[in-house]
Amino acid sequence: MLDALPFRHVIPVDFEFEFGGQDGEQPRSVCMVAKDLRTGQEWRLSRGEFGSLPPFPIGPDSLFVAYYASAELGCFKALGWPMPLNVLDLFVEFRNRTNGLTTPAGSGLVGALTYFGLDNIGTIEKDDMRSLVLRGGPWSQGESDAILEYCAGDVAALERLLPAMLPRIDLPRALLRGRYMKAAAAMEWNGVPIDTDTLALLRKNWTHIQDQLIVEIDANYGVFDGRTFKAERWERYLVAHGIPWPRLDSGRLDLKDDAFRQMAKAYPQVSPMRELRSALSDLRLNDLAVGSDGRNRTILSAFRSRTGRNQPSNTKYIFGPSVWLRSLIKPPLGYGVAYVDWSQQEFGIAAALSGDRAMQTAYLSGDPYLEFAKQANAVPRNATKETHGPTRELFKQCVLATQYGMEAESLAGRIGQPPVLARDLLRANRETYRVFWRWSDAAVDQAMLKGWLHTAFGWCIHVDENPNPRSLRNFPMQANAAEMLRLACCLATERGVEVCAPVHDAVLICATLDRLEADIKRMRAAMAEASRIILAGFELRTEATRVRYPDRFSDARGKAMWDHVIELIGKCSTAKTVKEETAA
Amino acid sequence: MAKEKLQPDKPIAETTDQFPDIGALRLSQEFLQTAGVKKILMTVPVRRPLKQDFVRVHPAPEFREAFAVIELKPDNERYLIMPQIATAVPREIVTEMFYTTINRQRVVFLWPVRLPASDGRVIEWHRSAQEAAERAMHRWIRVQSNRNLSAYEIAEATGTIPDPEWPPEYTFHDLLRIAFRDRIISSFDHPVLKQLRGEC
Repeated sequence: MLDALPFRHVIPVDFEFEFGGQDGEQPRSVCMVAKDLRTGQEWRLSRGEFGSLPPFPIGPDSLFVAYYASAELGCFKALGWPMPLNVLDLFVEFRNRTNGLTTPAGSGLVGALTYFGLDNIGTIEKDDMRSLVLRGGPWSQGESDAILEYCAGDVAALERLLPAMLPRIDLPRALLRGRYMKAAAAMEWNGVPIDTDTLALLRKNWTHIQDQLIVEIDANYGVFDGRTFKAERWERYLVAHGIPWPRLDSGRLDLKDDAFRQMAKAYPQVSPMRELRSALSDLRLNDLAVGSDGRNRTILSAFRSRTGRNQPSNTKYIFGPSVWLRSLIKPPLGYGVAYVDWSQQEFGIAAALSGDRAMQTAYLSGDPYLEFAKQANAVPRNATKETHGPTRELFKQCVLATQYGMEAESLAGRIGQPPVLARDLLRANRETYRVFWRWSDAAVDQAMLKGWLHTAFGWCIHVDENPNPRSLRNFPMQANAAEMLRLACCLATERGVEVCAPVHDAVLICATLDRLEADIKRMRAAMAEASRIILAGFELRTEATRVRYPDRFSDARGKAMWDHVIELIGKCSTAKTVKEETAA
Repeated sequence: MAKEKLQPDKPIAETTDQFPDIGALRLSQEFLQTAGVKKILMTVPVRRPLKQDFVRVHPAPEFREAFAVIELKPDNERYLIMPQIATAVPREIVTEMFYTTINRQRVVFLWPVRLPASDGRVIEWHRSAQEAAERAMHRWIRVQSNRNLSAYEIAEATGTIPDPEWPPEYTFHDLLRIAFRDRIISSFDHPVLKQLRGEC
């Protein structure tokens, strides 16, 4: 079976590593086992035995095989080893093979072995051994031997798994995905610079801040009982203010954050309540993983989502749902950061891949929402954002709604208009972008007929017994966007840009002030190139927001909340100082 | 099994030209070519446009044709009657022009418009309906009955609305077959004729 692989060396590799007992630290290698499946040669190294280069070949005639490779590659970083050229990540390939389907035992190594009916001996002690490893050294000789043996067990598992998976691995594209795991390792290694002083203040005062937030924000709503959100009071508030709220099939109010997020767009008065609920329930400041070097880093969980996007922990990652917390991002002295994102990425992808000329014209106009309104004859050709702002906003919401597969009722709720208007908007979209809609319908048809859809580089979604047509319809845009981001991250990290974090349709980069502009240029060039490759020549625009020390990053959606929290911290500090002075 | 802890020859350093032509790995996203799906019309209503509907009529002559029909008033059912049968029951039949019509919700239907009777007498309802159908060949219109006027009123959309997309796979006769399916009278033994003759 391995004969099919065009490499002289095929080397499964596994590392054990720990983080010095603290989330957010860079990995520290504990031991490594590797084995050349062609020759049978095995390498076992423990801490103190690692050299300046990997002991096995990593060049063009060698294939590095791992299960979730960014962990192993993070250890390469920690050891100062150069990256292997060809990476085959069996986790990623297993995800690709089963994406959208239910796997009997998850997507971990044990899950993959179980899926293929392979022996998982040597991998089942994982939790105990992982605890032993994460505990950190020193370890007794017996413990060290056990850890090394455990590590070898994973390599043996990879040796069993590889032949089972190989027949259906599309190697050239699998290597492209493996390439991204190198970029992921680089980003996990770099991390996001955090204002640790302010974070410490926030953590110290968080309970008090939460209490104050309830008092101040809930004063306008009256829905909290202590720290408990009361649904019936919220319902009364909605009735009193004439806000039509989405409901579940059971008839109860939909109180998920997504409902709050959607409704906040149509009814801005909902927004503070959403932020408050998020601050109380989702936000666990102590979980934010910040290392001793002041960098937020956590496993990116690459390829975890159905669209192939990264899915890092919401609580550990600074780019989680609480956007106001992003103001903690602050470049260190002498540095700057830049947030570089694609403009209207999904719209551009839809226009390019569907070949809809009208949609492409709208994208290239720079303001696709206004251009859509013009193409639908809703505004005159000379209309601008200033002269026809509200109409543009309606057409913008319509475009976004179509991207989410929203129906008229939901769109009506979102724009705060009657369903008849929402229906007209959606119809205008279908009529203006007919080529796109035919292509989009065909994508769903293909998924339902053939049981799968794939991106330009082969990331697959498989259709199970409960297909979701909305999600299938959106897959080509979302999953190709994910391909684009991965490719841009590869290009940029390989060209020396310090990419700190991938963020949906954007990246955060960091550089010394003297090279910040040059790195932004490199990053944007990489993003433009990635879009041309994914979209067969169609280039998407990018924008960059710069933050130079001592300024901090700020997301407009969370600025008010951040300012409010900082004000509360100030009050806490003042109150404490007065109290301490009085006591003295 | 050999265990090796020695450093091998210097590994080849990381390079970036591993994928000299990434574009060559690109897979087609032309779902229209791969999906191979066409919309099947299972139902073609035979009716006037609804009073809220804006409609267009297919302008091509091959997408309209006149037929003899029998309309069973109590059931509001319309039966297409073959010419050789129609001549035998002249008092029961009327002649209608069937226009292929589509509304803004992309529902395709056949719009029956009564033609003048054999004595040439013109009824305003029918005349105004025909005028509306002809106008709808070029503009989006709405048709509403006005009892005081004893005719249909036509409202024309003044905005620029895109032309409709007609289902390309269907001929007029396909539409007719779907529309009338089991309501075609092609023999004297048809239950409708028997009913009219008082035989059942």
